[in-house]
Amino acid sequence: MNCHDAQRYWDLFHDSEGDADLHFQLNDHLENCAACAEWFHKQSRLELLIKERLAGDAAEDASAVDWSRILAGAGVAPAIQPPSWGTLGIVLVALAASILLMIGFAGGFRPGGSSNLAHLTAEVHQHVSAGSLRPEFESESDIEVDRYLVNRVSFPVRCPPRKDSGFAVRGAGLCQLSSQSAAYVVGSVDQQPVSIFVLPKESLKEFPELRQILQREPMTACREGNSEMVLSVFDNNLVLVIGNVERTKLTRVLKSYGTYPHAA
Amino acid sequence: MTQADRTKTERFVAHLEPLQRQLCVYCSRALNRRDESEDVLQSAVANAFRDFDKYAEGTNFKAWMYRYVTLEILNRNRASSRLTTSMGRYEPVHEPVLPLDSIRLETLLDAPEAVLDHCDDVVADCVRKLTEQERKILLLRAVGEFKYREIAEILDIPIGTVMGLLSRARNQLRTGLLDYGRDNGLLTEGDAT
Repeated sequence: MNCHDAQRYWDLFHDSEGDADLHFQLNDHLENCAACAEWFHKQSRLELLIKERLAGDAAEDASAVDWSRILAGAGVAPAIQPPSWGTLGIVLVALAASILLMIGFAGGFRPGGSSNLAHLTAEVHQHVSAGSLRPEFESESDIEVDRYLVNRVSFPVRCPPRKDSGFAVRGAGLCQLSSQSAAYVVGSVDQQPVSIFVLPKESLKEFPELRQILQREPMTACREGNSEMVLSVFDNNLVLVIGNVERTKLTRVLKSYGTYPHAA
Repeated sequence: MTQADRTKTERFVAHLEPLQRQLCVYCSRALNRRDESEDVLQSAVANAFRDFDKYAEGTNFKAWMYRYVTLEILNRNRASSRLTTSMGRYEPVHEPVLPLDSIRLETLLDAPEAVLDHCDDVVADCVRKLTEQERKILLLRAVGEFKYREIAEILDIPIGTVMGLLSRARNQLRTGLLDYGRDNGLLTEGDAT
């Protein structure tokens, strides 16, 4: 694939459309052509900013809309019933579980402060690597992992990277990083544990320093303890890849994130 | 209200609630007249609720709901265009998309905030200038985050048309931003680094 062809398919690449073969060829070209890789990044960044403006400006209108009036006018009257004791019990248990989860990830594992996302993810990665935290869902099938996450997270996620990026998936789960919900995918690169964390892009509001860094450098790398980490924003996700392997290998996994369509 | 009615209502509201905000944004952007959003949503919700028995649980409710909202927007925009065209002799002319000014596009890509931070209204105006179909496709992708196949199903058009019009709409938006940047001195050739 040459530069002209690659740039023709930018839309498909950006929207995670097209078949796996096309994405494989595009990824291959981007890895060998720095100019195109930069061009793709800039195009995607511009598109994301336009998208933010489209949603942001109309958000005021959206908050002014009175849905109770719309529902009543449409003949949809939600039946509001007092919760039964059973429901109340479930709610209380769920609340307690959420608090425990928050303490687990945001409190107990967080010596570096809530604003340090790199630190938070590194802590979770270490627990997963050491086996003290098992992913809720274990599978070596990227399709099954994709399906599991898509059905459980409230924000859009993309398909995990496949073996051709060097990443062998092992499982996935959900966690809370500071006050933000996150999905994580665990697996390995060259037999070494590697974790991928996916958060909604809006969660960057809680990590303003990181947001500024990513505005300057759309793909950023850092070192946290013994682990290398690379991170970037893809479409609606903030994606972090962390592991004790070379940064270039983590970058390859990061770039492959979401380049495959969801399973039908 | 019978138990069955109550269950139907609860199920419908549970499906609808997570979509409320994005449906408002979609309406607000896709309508010729933004002040009609609430009316359009009410009609669309009423129609969808009437047909909710036909909805197969477990299938894509979001796409199903967007179809009703999109249809209502189409009807409303047709009515408002008839009103506008009947008042004058002029019809909107959709100019062909010209090739983008590559030098200024580079500048825009290098520092998009330089333009975008100054022109929320310009983005909205550019979207409004798109054809009805282009506007819906762009918004279904950007706001609804639908896949091309889903957009094709919602609008009942071929997937190739979705791809072509989305690409054209994105180009139009970039052209609008470049024009605004050039006219307001935000983009000059020298800015490119």
